[in-house]
Amino acid sequence: MVKKKRVRLIAEMARKIRAYRELKAQPRESEKYALDYQTMKRPHTGKTLPVLAWEDVGRESRLFTLLSGLRLFGVGRIFTRKSWLADHPEPSYWQITKVKVDYVAENMDHGKAWGILTYKGKQESEVKEVEKSIYHDWRLVPKHEEENFKKYEPLPEPPVRYVSYPPLLRAMILAQGGGSARGEEPTLPLKRDVLLSKDYFSSQEEERQRQEGTPV
Amino acid sequence: MAASVLQRCLGAVKVIHKSAYLSCAGRRWLLSAAYTDTTLWETRKKDPQNLAQLAAFMDRIYERNFPVSSLTISRFVDSISSREEVDQAEYYLYRFRHSPNCWYLRDWTIHSWVRQCLKYGAKDKALHTLKNKVQYGIFPDEFSFNLLLDAYIKEEDFKGACSVVEEVMLQEACDLPSTQILSLYALSRYLATKPKLGVSEERGLGASLLIVGLKQNNTVGLSAQLLGSALLGKVEMAEGIHAVFRGMPLLWTPGYVGRALAVMEKVAAAPGDVKLTKDMIDSVEAVLKELSSDSDSSEGEESGGEEDRKGESGGEEDRKEEKMVDEDDLAERAKLPQYASRFQELLSQLQSQGKVDAAPLEALVSALAQQALPRAEEPDLEQYAGRVRDWESERRQLIQREVEARERAEMEKQARIEARAAAQQG
Repeated sequence: MVKKKRVRLIAEMARKIRAYRELKAQPRESEKYALDYQTMKRPHTGKTLPVLAWEDVGRESRLFTLLSGLRLFGVGRIFTRKSWLADHPEPSYWQITKVKVDYVAENMDHGKAWGILTYKGKQESEVKEVEKSIYHDWRLVPKHEEENFKKYEPLPEPPVRYVSYPPLLRAMILAQGGGSARGEEPTLPLKRDVLLSKDYFSSQEEERQRQEGTPV
Repeated sequence: MAASVLQRCLGAVKVIHKSAYLSCAGRRWLLSAAYTDTTLWETRKKDPQNLAQLAAFMDRIYERNFPVSSLTISRFVDSISSREEVDQAEYYLYRFRHSPNCWYLRDWTIHSWVRQCLKYGAKDKALHTLKNKVQYGIFPDEFSFNLLLDAYIKEEDFKGACSVVEEVMLQEACDLPSTQILSLYALSRYLATKPKLGVSEERGLGASLLIVGLKQNNTVGLSAQLLGSALLGKVEMAEGIHAVFRGMPLLWTPGYVGRALAVMEKVAAAPGDVKLTKDMIDSVEAVLKELSSDSDSSEGEESGGEEDRKGESGGEEDRKEEKMVDEDDLAERAKLPQYASRFQELLSQLQSQGKVDAAPLEALVSALAQQALPRAEEPDLEQYAGRVRDWESERRQLIQREVEARERAEMEKQARIEARAAAQQG
């Protein structure tokens, strides 16, 4: 027989209090992400930044260093990342809608921002938190260049290509009357708009059952 | 009552404006008296507070780690009555900026801060807070910028005026034609004094010339764009493209000298009456000459220096020197002789088409100011009057909300005291 478990209420309470205090004692953004630019180390964790990033950290700025110098913290302005500029020819940018600044920072250059992302020319519909805002990678798009920057004409998607079946399968299909009993070559589309989920497979099973009929 | 007072003052402002417009011609300064008139501002419903009390109140709130409301700081700035209090207000603005409510610093507080600084002769204080706008949170609207610029221009302090224009450029607040005209005037007068420019000053001047010039589509604007791009190109050649656009609202594609030449091409190809001023073109020529002579001398130095450094074991410095000269920047410097030759071609083209204006830039800007500024001021003033009304209504709402919150707190406190008394008795 299992012994009855002792209910330790005080230990529970202590656990909750410890969790609450840990939550309260979390370091602020400005402390967590502070950086010593001479030694490229973070004073909070003592870790050094990766060497390949040192050049960028010296030359570029974080998102909030740019936001702190703008009216209303740059709400409504457009920001790009240097890595996007290098990697993708299509325009990718964040348009800022909401900002929460860490007011403890001396130059008001830490915090969180939310905005609408346009990645490779495709604009999203929801406001999301700006990712990687602490990276030294951000550039402000000046107002007189905004229109020019956003201009993008998406190339039309190439049409779906069709490919012939392997020879044995092709012979079988033609012998059975073919997927298309019109004397044409049966082809396989290289791209299908199908979400492979449980519902799809169960519906495929049912259709096969219907076609084959019952075993007897 | 406040509304009728405002209406009476609006009528008064219109009358003053018309009379000033007629007698504007002989004046030395640019903005008409109606623009810098303080009657509309002064006749708002005032809430005189004891500054010492407010200061003590704010200190207590900061100690207890509560947020200070924007109404308190606006009351503080409104009740400034002497030069020392301007300094105190600066301290409290700094503290407000570093509090959780920093986003809610109101437009009217900033406007009244600029007005008070000008009233008590603390222009340099206003400029100092503007320059450190990150720390103080001062982002004035264009009307306040116009007032500040006008004060500096009246005192012929063109270096200070150019610093203000740099701030206008950094905030990209040059949408109103009045701001554009005033900034161009300040810049042209400053350039006419032929100052000695360091690299960062050149960068600031070039950027402000370019951005303000982009808005105007006439001789003045295009000449400003030309000289701005040329100065930025000079900085680019010397320091690299990163030094140009860091911290400034500028594009990061290299080739600013190329863009200056593109402006010249555009003017040469344009069918209208647009010209480029001779002194701008001369300055651009001087810049190009300086760059070519610099590159010649530095090439000789570099080859000598590299041979020396190859023998050294100080590898880190070597790497840093090589890293600074990026591939793009090297490509730019290689294009310099091409730029120089193209400049000569375009210059001869412009001269043959008669599109080089011999008048100096400041004369043109003054003429433009005389014509266009009065017209530009009218919509500004109307907009300002409307905005003052909005600010007043917002302030009344805030005061009402504060009063209601205080009443509610009082009632809750009463309820708690009664409950405690009942519990003690019962």
